[in-house]
Amino acid sequence: MNRLRSTGLALLGPALAVLVALVISALVIALIGENPLRALQVMTDLGDAPSQQVQSIVVILNRAVPLFLAGLAVSIAFRMGLFNIGVEGQYRLATIVAAAVGAAVALPGPLHLLLVIVVAMAVGALWAGIVGVLKVTRGVSEVISSIMLNFIALGLASYLLTGPFRGSPEGASIITTTPLPESAWFPGLNGLLGAFGLAEPRTELFGFLVVAIVVGVAIAVLIQRTRFGFDLRATGISASAATASGVDARRMVVTTMLLSGAVAGLIGLPDLLGDARAFGTEFTAGLGFLGIAVALLGRNNVLGIALAALLFAFLDRAALPLQFADIPASVVTIIQGTIVLAVVIANEIARRLALRSAERAGAEATGAPPDPGGSADPGGPGPGTGPDGGHRVRTGVPGSSEEARA
Amino acid sequence: MAQAPAAGAEQPDGGAARSPYAVELRGITKRFPGVVANKDIELSVRRGQVHAIVGENGAGKSTLMKTLYGEHRPDEGTILVDGRPVQFRSPADAIAAGIGMVHQHFMLADNFTVLENVVLGSEPRKGGRLDRDSARRRIEEISERYGLGLRPDDLVEDLGVGDRQRVEIAKVLYRNARTLILDEPTAVLVPQEVDELFGNLAELKREGLTVIFISHKLDEVRKVADAITVIRRGTTVGDADPRTTTAKQLAEMMVGAELPTPELRSSTVRETPVLRLQGVTVASDAGRPLVDAVDLTVREGEVVGIAGVEGNGQAELVEAVMGLRSLAAGSVHLGDEDISGWTTRSRREAGIGFIPEDRHRQGMLLDAPLWENRILGHQTRPPAAKGPFIDRKGARSDTERIMRDYDVRAPGPDTLAVALSGGNQQKLIVGREMSATPRLLIAAHPTRGVDVGAQSVIWELLKDARGEGMGIVLVSADLDELIGLSDTLHVMLRGRLVATVDPRQVTPEELGGHMTGARTAAGAA
Repeated sequence: MNRLRSTGLALLGPALAVLVALVISALVIALIGENPLRALQVMTDLGDAPSQQVQSIVVILNRAVPLFLAGLAVSIAFRMGLFNIGVEGQYRLATIVAAAVGAAVALPGPLHLLLVIVVAMAVGALWAGIVGVLKVTRGVSEVISSIMLNFIALGLASYLLTGPFRGSPEGASIITTTPLPESAWFPGLNGLLGAFGLAEPRTELFGFLVVAIVVGVAIAVLIQRTRFGFDLRATGISASAATASGVDARRMVVTTMLLSGAVAGLIGLPDLLGDARAFGTEFTAGLGFLGIAVALLGRNNVLGIALAALLFAFLDRAALPLQFADIPASVVTIIQGTIVLAVVIANEIARRLALRSAERAGAEATGAPPDPGGSADPGGPGPGTGPDGGHRVRTGVPGSSEEARA
Repeated sequence: MAQAPAAGAEQPDGGAARSPYAVELRGITKRFPGVVANKDIELSVRRGQVHAIVGENGAGKSTLMKTLYGEHRPDEGTILVDGRPVQFRSPADAIAAGIGMVHQHFMLADNFTVLENVVLGSEPRKGGRLDRDSARRRIEEISERYGLGLRPDDLVEDLGVGDRQRVEIAKVLYRNARTLILDEPTAVLVPQEVDELFGNLAELKREGLTVIFISHKLDEVRKVADAITVIRRGTTVGDADPRTTTAKQLAEMMVGAELPTPELRSSTVRETPVLRLQGVTVASDAGRPLVDAVDLTVREGEVVGIAGVEGNGQAELVEAVMGLRSLAAGSVHLGDEDISGWTTRSRREAGIGFIPEDRHRQGMLLDAPLWENRILGHQTRPPAAKGPFIDRKGARSDTERIMRDYDVRAPGPDTLAVALSGGNQQKLIVGREMSATPRLLIAAHPTRGVDVGAQSVIWELLKDARGEGMGIVLVSADLDELIGLSDTLHVMLRGRLVATVDPRQVTPEELGGHMTGARTAAGAA
């Protein structure tokens, strides 16, 4: 029952946030002179014919896969109190290098795919690793350095695309890398849809969905069930207590950033291997930043992130039909933005409720009020810094990483 | 009717005095869902007195004070201030009625001056701007009148703990409080500062103010209080006269039972050394030695006490042994092995247990359940781990065992650590560390902020462990604890071990002399 209650509280925050966001968005839509209910109807209308509906679902799933991976990458760092704002740069750089390497070699199918995946993960990890190394050696806040590295990564990707990795002919309006050979195409899942007796959609369902699920499960097990995951979460809850328990905080920072970056490296691959076949100026951008929102909404929980990614993908799909219905597509952006804002607030409220119910439970058992948390601080000002000199700030990051170093 | 002195049974002199009490609480009951935190509280505080409220952690002192300060409303009973019944909806109401609170954890803005901190929230304004001149005049007047010695323009971050506390007191006085509630005011102070605080309290008393002093340090209470009320299990169990009651009697009122003393039975010291420190030196970032060439040996079955005024290098020494600070010079041996370069984790795995001095900062994950706190520090060993995985089941059932064996009162292993009282948190930590049967235990202030009941439990555990051959380093600010438990007692001053005394013969006064450097010598190491 206790467990049920805590799950209920965990769901309360995001559910409340989505509700508040919908109300605010409805107001905005009404303000610009459109009918909110009609907008909602357009957004939820997946199509009349079964084939249309399947097509819509495939579009949503294809969008959700990279969003899920992005949310996952951000959440790994969040769980230990690190803000990896650099996911955007990490995946862009990882994708272009992986695309170039994939196009340059010839290998039999599975090996070719494996190589592209490994290269993408390595580049993402490396780029994120810089942030970790800077933090533990020079005490640079990971927020600052990862944002700065975003700019460098985007610039570097542009340079690589127009320079050494350029594959499209001179004068083409869209510049791309050389397309991947067929051995590096990830097989789609439409055959599977057919097997379920569903109509064949126009778009291929990304086979990378399977990889994303495997990665999700692996990360969930790693964080929740392993010693490494315990160290990571412990550091996120209290860096000082984790250090005293024998966790090497500096190594944890670097390892966590490497892991987060490696997952970030995967974000561009569903599209690259499943549809685009090459990195170009038109390649999907902004997934890294959306990943932060997805991780927030999903409360850093793998299942929650999956649901959040589906919700965001659902909203993204609605942009086109909204335009057909003469409603500005930016309605979608407004909803997403208000969800993020609302979720930060709602998570804080849910956290306080959870804390209060925990305190009550404690008091019930002992008849004693709990020992207030916070730093008992005997003899002068307590060290307000983490083990690596980063300042501790309170943030609205949900889940267990309430205190984080910025 | 309101004027009638308390009819409370435990008010022996209630009928004699006709002057109204500053504060009276009658039949206060406060329930939280499923639990009664306060029940039938009877308290009468005379004006112009220091009235102490003592009780174990979790006895309901804080709940009571929150009631009196308007942070929540009682379910039953009445509060009378100066004989008039009052109802507080918020602390603002309490302040308006002349009741002020000095919290245990200071609530000051470090980067503000004393003046800014004092007026914060009730700023005098002139033309929409802060009227610094009138604020300064009032603060100087308050400081002068009550001997607080505050300079309004000092930055709070430059102040010591004692001064900060006086700023808190000034804040309350600035708001015209006539009754001050001090919540565990001495917990953060060194002995000299405690004396200064008591001087301040005397000034307040002389000016006719009333002080409600919450504490569980019984010697201090007896020194400073004019009247004592004891709380046990949420209710007032009686009043005591500080002049005629001994600390032991008070303690027995608090726990409702006879108390053990920390005295050791017989020596269990064996020959084999467990820990040897040779010339251990720890430097600050600026290169100043915080621990200066310390030599120390702990043998099996020996408790080595380290006395000293806080901030003389004890904390750094402990961190050096635990591998949390690197050595500038010297070596640390555990048994025969040189562990100077080992990580904290391998030191723990090699058999060092650690009770850190600040359990919130170093000992616990407050936002995590108890079973995860059981794992903390033992991530690599059974029952917490199984290969590279966390053994959830093992950790849970072992947490249940610790809760049983060490009397940790909590609903279950899934309770968040933050929901436990300080004593129960500490018992969990002690239980956790003992469960790994370490060869060496580093116990830093093991009974700090812990109630008398838990204190005696922890003392017993330390004695038992010593009897079984564990070596223990005991750092403490509680001189009775040090003298009572130690086999060997060193005094640390400015990073050095300046004296070694025989705990069987030394008195707290002599020890205090060594700690402040007033006494040098005789058996200096």
